[in-house]
Amino acid sequence: MLYVVLFFLLFSLLLYVLLGGADFGAGIVELFSSRKNKLTTRNTIYRVMGPVWEANHIWLIILLVILWVAFPVYFNVIMIYLHVPFVLVLLGITMRGVAFIFRHYDAIVDRSQLFYNWMFRISSLVTPVFLGMSFGALIGGKIILTEDDYTGFTFSELYLWPWFNSFTFLVGIFYAVLCAFLAATLLIGETQGKVRKMFSKKSAYFTITLVLLGFILIAYGYIYEVKFIKDFVSNPVSIGAVILSGLLLIPLWRAIKRQNTLGSRYLAGLQVVLVLFAALYAHFPYIIITAEKEVSLLEGLPPQAVIQNLGIMLLIGGGVILPGLFHLMRSFGMIKIFKSGEKEFENN
Amino acid sequence: MENLDFARLQMAFTLGFHIIFACIGMVMPFFMVVSHKKWLNTRNPVYLELTKSWQKGVAIFFVTGAVSGTALSFELGMLWPEFMKHAGPIIGMPFSLEGAAFFVEAIALGFYLYGWNKLPEKFHWFTGIIIGISGVASGILVVSANGWMNAPTGFDYIDGQFVNIDPVQAFLNPAWFTQALHMTLAAVVATSFAVAGVHALQVYRNKRPDLHKKAFKIAIIFGAVAAFLQPLSGDLSAKDIAERQPMKLAAMEAHYETGTNVPLYIGGIVDEENQKVTHKIAIPGALSFLAFGDFDAEVKGLKDFPEDEHPPVAIVHYAFQIMVGIGTLLMLAGILYFLSLKYKKLFNKKWYWLLFVVLAPLGFIAVEAGWVVTEVGRQPWIIYGFMKTSEAVTPMPGMEFSFYMYLVVYAVLAVTVTWLMRRQIRVLNAVKE
Ligand code: HDD
Ligand code: HEM
Ligand code: HEM
Repeated sequence: MLYVVLFFLLFSLLLYVLLGGADFGAGIVELFSSRKNKLTTRNTIYRVMGPVWEANHIWLIILLVILWVAFPVYFNVIMIYLHVPFVLVLLGITMRGVAFIFRHYDAIVDRSQLFYNWMFRISSLVTPVFLGMSFGALIGGKIILTEDDYTGFTFSELYLWPWFNSFTFLVGIFYAVLCAFLAATLLIGETQGKVRKMFSKKSAYFTITLVLLGFILIAYGYIYEVKFIKDFVSNPVSIGAVILSGLLLIPLWRAIKRQNTLGSRYLAGLQVVLVLFAALYAHFPYIIITAEKEVSLLEGLPPQAVIQNLGIMLLIGGGVILPGLFHLMRSFGMIKIFKSGEKEFENN
Repeated sequence: MENLDFARLQMAFTLGFHIIFACIGMVMPFFMVVSHKKWLNTRNPVYLELTKSWQKGVAIFFVTGAVSGTALSFELGMLWPEFMKHAGPIIGMPFSLEGAAFFVEAIALGFYLYGWNKLPEKFHWFTGIIIGISGVASGILVVSANGWMNAPTGFDYIDGQFVNIDPVQAFLNPAWFTQALHMTLAAVVATSFAVAGVHALQVYRNKRPDLHKKAFKIAIIFGAVAAFLQPLSGDLSAKDIAERQPMKLAAMEAHYETGTNVPLYIGGIVDEENQKVTHKIAIPGALSFLAFGDFDAEVKGLKDFPEDEHPPVAIVHYAFQIMVGIGTLLMLAGILYFLSLKYKKLFNKKWYWLLFVVLAPLGFIAVEAGWVVTEVGRQPWIIYGFMKTSEAVTPMPGMEFSFYMYLVVYAVLAVTVTWLMRRQIRVLNAVKE
């Protein structure tokens, strides 16, 4: 059952990074659209993301619940030491969520739209940056585990510098660009003609930025001896995955250029899977790397009965939810497998 | 004040904020589907208009509930890391089921909001029902987790460690049923009277009374029935507490001296220092009867418990008085509504509508008061009898900043949501006037 739980943990992490990411990214794409394209982007986002955005973000809650039930020691560490960036993430999620709904459900359309729009765009950018920074802090090696003796450390040493430094900042930006890349690639398939061209261009542009940032990140980690990056680079499987993702950029690039919606979508998703896999593989299960030691995800597991119970709940929950979610995404055209089925739906 | 106090304040404030949206999220979908059904049956366009307007309300409240709930799931860990380290695995079951319920709710909401003219009519309507059912389910599940904090079961406590964990037993703890029943009814009462009040105001001001009377009727029927059952369920809760948490009961009643044939105090000013209650109305034997069904039963007083384990008596007592007072009032209001079905003249009286306007916020005040009774009444324990709140709090200093930030952000949100609702009504009234 531990494997079932681990599977759902990684699965919800992946889906949050992918779907939640595409959702954040949509706001970033809108932010970086020219003034005359902003409205088109906004309407496209509403049409495409609207029905599913709420579901996308529940992956985060599932992730959190799995962590606290099955990995309490690990959860304890991140909740204490990442308190500050999490407050910022929550603030961002709050602003973004309400701005999205307000701008589409306000009964009167007037100047307040301007305010909602900007709040939506800015928080779409800021939230993934802080999320990325939190993740960066976990692997950045700067967290100081005090072992219950908090005297002798300042507030900044314990709660600020571990997540607020140039390495974590790079990780944050990397994740934000990844989100934008995902969103732009997704939106290509949802539009026609000129707008479609615009999103293809955006997607290509974000791909380049992403690759560049990836290189900078690895180079930085290598030069400044970030343990995570060093281990990552010397692990053949991880490096293999990164090289594979590099090679897959070529078909991705072609797909984007040809505005091949399905191909680019799957390839973009695959990129994320590969990068995430590479990042986690080198260090699994040591996902917290602190100044002195590495904390294993599997440290201090709760008794078998708890894991058993959680595993069963997840299997039942998954069995109920995944078909429903799939149906929702298909109905509103997020997943295109049966093209004909969709036509039928639109004619309804 | 210390860090701990700010952490407690923040928890109380954010929970108190969330519960309002959670209640609306649980109950409003049912109003919406009733109105939707009436539209499908009668094709009276007024019902379509009402459904769509309520749907916008549901969307706005839902998202506010969702983001504040997301914040809460983090907060449990961020504010009470030691609590979650031990309790997380034990009460994982309701929370993991709750995750599933949220998902179902979000999926159904996606279908409902975006499904107009796209989905088959029946299926579309049915997704609305699913929103409501999964909302109520998530409410019940999370309350069961809270019930465990009041009545911890499903483990053995050996040498300061929680061992032999049984998640199912923890989930079905002795408090879950009474609490979940009372909470679900409370959500219906609070939301119904609030919605009914909003529409009563429009009738009172004579703005599209045809539409608003229909809306009022849908909401108040739910409310009147639930308000009638609420005190009965409250009595069940009180009896439960008398068994399990005698200290909480004593604090609720500001009852200091152990004795038999104990009187029930109504009102009264609590003097915590001298452990006395003044200016009260005492009903002889009533507390003994309410708690144990016997006028001569012994009820333990606060003086029988170590003083450092007393909850803040005054707050709990006042909060309890407020809840019960409102409960009685709303029950009478419910009866008045059923009377007006017989004496239709009442519907033409201005004061009738004004009365329901005045009652609008009371249900929510009772909800907040009730939670204060439950949560403050449990102090100083976070896990009743096993872990003190002070042992659970985060070691990070500076909680006051976080508290003030939430205060400001949520205040702004609350004002904005209210303003949006007023705009909703304005648009609704502007049509065909
Ligand atoms: C509309 C709201 C509302 C109304 C009218 C009432 N209550 Fe209540 N009450 C709640 C809303 C509520 C609540 C907010 O939902 C609580 C907090 C925790 C819970 O499970 O329900 C609660 C808790 C609560 C508790 C503590 C339960 C615990 O700690 O486990 C008791 C003893 C009562 N109630 C009793 C009553 C009585 C005797 C009422 C008679 C009129 C009453 N309530 C009306
Ligand atoms: C939404 C309705 C709720 C409200 C309004 C509410 C209210 C409160 C209040 C007023 C406090 C502060 C008590 C004090 O420190 O004096 C508190 C504390 C707390 N509540 Fe609740 N509560 C609610 C539901 C829940 C639920 C469902 C859970 C858990 C699943 C929960 C978990 C906690 C925890 C962990 C604390 C902090 C520790 C403590 O003070 O005991 N609450 N809540
Ligand atoms: C008695 C107290 C509570 C009740 C009755 C309650 C009920 C609900 C309901 C009905 C919703 C659905 C949202 C809506 O329709 O507006 C919701 C949302 C949520 N609640 Fe609560 N809740 C309570 C306390 C808590 C606590 C203590 C937590 C944290 C652990 C929590 C976490 C959440 C989360 C994460 C969501 C968002 C789900 C989504 O995105 O749809 N709730 N709650």
